[in-house]
Amino acid sequence: MMLTLLDELLLFSGATLLVALFIGRGLAAGWMVTILYGGQLLALLKMAVLGYGGGTIASSLSFEIMGQELSWRFDGLSWFFALITIGSALLSSWFSCGAWERSYIRQGGNIWLFHTAMALNVFTMLILLASGDLLSLFIGWELVSWAGFLLMVLAGGVATSAAMRYITYAMAGGMAIFGGLALIYTASGSLQLEAVTTAVEQMSGAKLWLLVILFGGGFGVKMGLMPFHLWQAPAYAETPGPGSAFLGAISSRMGLFAILLVLVKLFGIVNIESLKLPFTPIDARDLLAWIAVFTIILPTFTAMKQNDARHLLAWHGIGQGGYMLLGVVVADAMGGAGGLLHVFNHATYQAALFMAVTAVIYRTGTSDLNKLGGLVVRMPLSFVVLLIGIIGLAGLPPMNGFVSKWLVYRSLLNQGMPLLFLAAVIGTLGTILSVYKLIHNIFLGQLRVEHEHVSEAPWSMMIPMLILSAIIFVTGLLPGIPLEWVASALQTVGLPVPDHTLGGIESASGSLDMIWVIGVLFAGFGVGALVFYSAGRSKRVHQLDNYAGGHFLSADVRYQYSDNFYAGLMHLIGGWYRGSFLWLERSIRSLVEFLSLGMQGLYRRANAEFYLLTTALFVIAWVVI
Amino acid sequence: MSSIKQIPVVEAKRTNPLARVFDDLVRFCRSRSLFILHYCTGCGAIELPPAMTSRFDMERLGIQPMVSPRQADILLITGYVSIKTLKRVILTYEQMGSPKYVIGICSCTVNGGMYWQSYATAKKLDEYMPVDLYIAGCMPRPEAVIEGLQQLMDRIHAGEANSWEDYYRNYDYYLGNQQKLFGEDWQTPTDVISEAKHYDLLSNGTLGDHTRLLEQHQKPLEALEMRLGHEQKEPAK
Repeated sequence: MMLTLLDELLLFSGATLLVALFIGRGLAAGWMVTILYGGQLLALLKMAVLGYGGGTIASSLSFEIMGQELSWRFDGLSWFFALITIGSALLSSWFSCGAWERSYIRQGGNIWLFHTAMALNVFTMLILLASGDLLSLFIGWELVSWAGFLLMVLAGGVATSAAMRYITYAMAGGMAIFGGLALIYTASGSLQLEAVTTAVEQMSGAKLWLLVILFGGGFGVKMGLMPFHLWQAPAYAETPGPGSAFLGAISSRMGLFAILLVLVKLFGIVNIESLKLPFTPIDARDLLAWIAVFTIILPTFTAMKQNDARHLLAWHGIGQGGYMLLGVVVADAMGGAGGLLHVFNHATYQAALFMAVTAVIYRTGTSDLNKLGGLVVRMPLSFVVLLIGIIGLAGLPPMNGFVSKWLVYRSLLNQGMPLLFLAAVIGTLGTILSVYKLIHNIFLGQLRVEHEHVSEAPWSMMIPMLILSAIIFVTGLLPGIPLEWVASALQTVGLPVPDHTLGGIESASGSLDMIWVIGVLFAGFGVGALVFYSAGRSKRVHQLDNYAGGHFLSADVRYQYSDNFYAGLMHLIGGWYRGSFLWLERSIRSLVEFLSLGMQGLYRRANAEFYLLTTALFVIAWVVI
Repeated sequence: MSSIKQIPVVEAKRTNPLARVFDDLVRFCRSRSLFILHYCTGCGAIELPPAMTSRFDMERLGIQPMVSPRQADILLITGYVSIKTLKRVILTYEQMGSPKYVIGICSCTVNGGMYWQSYATAKKLDEYMPVDLYIAGCMPRPEAVIEGLQQLMDRIHAGEANSWEDYYRNYDYYLGNQQKLFGEDWQTPTDVISEAKHYDLLSNGTLGDHTRLLEQHQKPLEALEMRLGHEQKEPAK
């Protein structure tokens, strides 16, 4: 039997898992696993033809269960997501080796379990991405859900309750997907991908609605779409540092992958658009777009209120997912490209940001934004990484986040959706405000006395961060590189492909060439530098030689303003933070508790014979009727 | 004999013929973009809002308020200066970047005015820092303030408003007066002597008995250097 390239990749990934599992306690296990991730990346690059418009590569593994054939294969879409998965796993794992690993063990962490959980996540994600029919998709989906749970639960304590909350949501989502599969199976008698298309043709509007809700809701849970977003931020934030970088980069994008595969590729945007919401002028596609937009706005503004750097970033991860879905739902050439490109871009800067915050935690022991400040003089490289990351996250040139957000905005304008555009811009405003809070409270302002002795993060952590920063900048300068892969993925799901060049997008309604944009930007910086450096010598002063209304400053008094950041803005919008979704979640939880208590009371009180009799009667009645 | 020493020596001519033109341009620009620090003392401050806002409109002369001393050019002392306030005024003055100008508004800054008999008020401002211009009156009207500011602009343009150099050249004198008022352990965060070296303004009057006294107890504030090393230093116990 010949091994296909996909077999090699999956075997490599499985081998990584086994190495982590069996010799993960040994010396330098982290480095070994990291090298194996590198091997996986090479195996993936051998399939690079998929990323440049090639067809599919099937796995030789396939079998039949109860008349259903299970198969696995890779196409352009899978390759694109797999590249991000393995890339972020490689860099996160590299980051975790050496210094971080030692401090994690010192604090009582189980590094063997950490590496195993990471390897398991990558392996299951690859299986999910390779799924060739709905049954293997469901199997992959459940595997990914449980693997994610393993990584999230590692830190214990708060993380455990966050992970329990996650798994509750994930199971509910899994059940919804299972229900959708059952509907398709009854309609077409098959679980092959084509069965969906057949089922869609046969089904009435109401059933189709149900199918869209089941699949959209089920996959949306993983993506953290409103109103299923509450689990994600605490679960990702409380994961050990490199783990949260990995999860934040790619984990919830599996939901987008499944939405692309099932809703966009198999249902078709046209079919979704034909589903009208009764008594309203909107259809299912508008509904998805508005869900995406609210997923942008609300979590982003929730992020602004966070006082923990990790939680702030994790909330942004949810918000940025909204941009991806929004672009995909608009579904023209620019929107689709923007949505998919944002998956790549988001992974790069989110991983870099989480790593920078983890580096700060490694050195200072806290990620509380009210207990940091002024670290730029002690950790200048981490500052640069965080700066590059937040420029990307806020969607400003010259970083890559700008390109994908520009594409999404452009498509909204081209398609005549001004309200969605406005809402997306409000989301970006919230992003800019909150990332400023992040960098200000950690790196700018007053250096605390207890951080005087702090120094830069060690090289084992610094190198992956610098690599990510370089990727963020280079793909911002030359977005044509990832746009090639995006174009291949778009072809796979049947969305139109934009004309792209190395520097950006060619379009009749306005092109984008980042080489020019960045060239002009840096020319401006050059002029500024010329003025600055020609103006004579400058003199550095101590931070306590500073102006505070004529007050004599001393190191024991804090004069940096970090608590209750944006008090003025909160005065205006503070009333909007009502926690309605938390209230909803709590009320559902109480309802379930109440019902289960009632049931408990019932079966505790009555005798067993009575139940036996009733059950028997019901069974007889059911058989007879 | 001493008067012979005072005969000014003509400077050697500059080699670049455009240098004087350029200097003139710089002085012109300087005089047309003055930032006033938002720091007011005493009762004269009340005359500034009308001078700044639409009635008299200081901004048409290129004068604007500024919130931080690092970016400001003019320090306005707008009334009596209590000893407690004077400490803050000196701190703020030293934090301003050169060239900087001080304007004393109201009679109190000239000679203590109606607070002449107060034990808690500094009488003559120019004993503690060089003053470019006094605008007398109790209080001077906005027209007078603007007249004074225009005079300052003319003097800057003519290259005569150089009293800020005097603070560096005769630091020992000013520091002595400050020490007389605030006690011998008086110290500001700014290291004026190293700044004098920075501006090439070190002269005979810069150092003296008072600066020696300062050096005995001064705790210098070194700037926080950007540090790239990865070696974690343990905090000094």
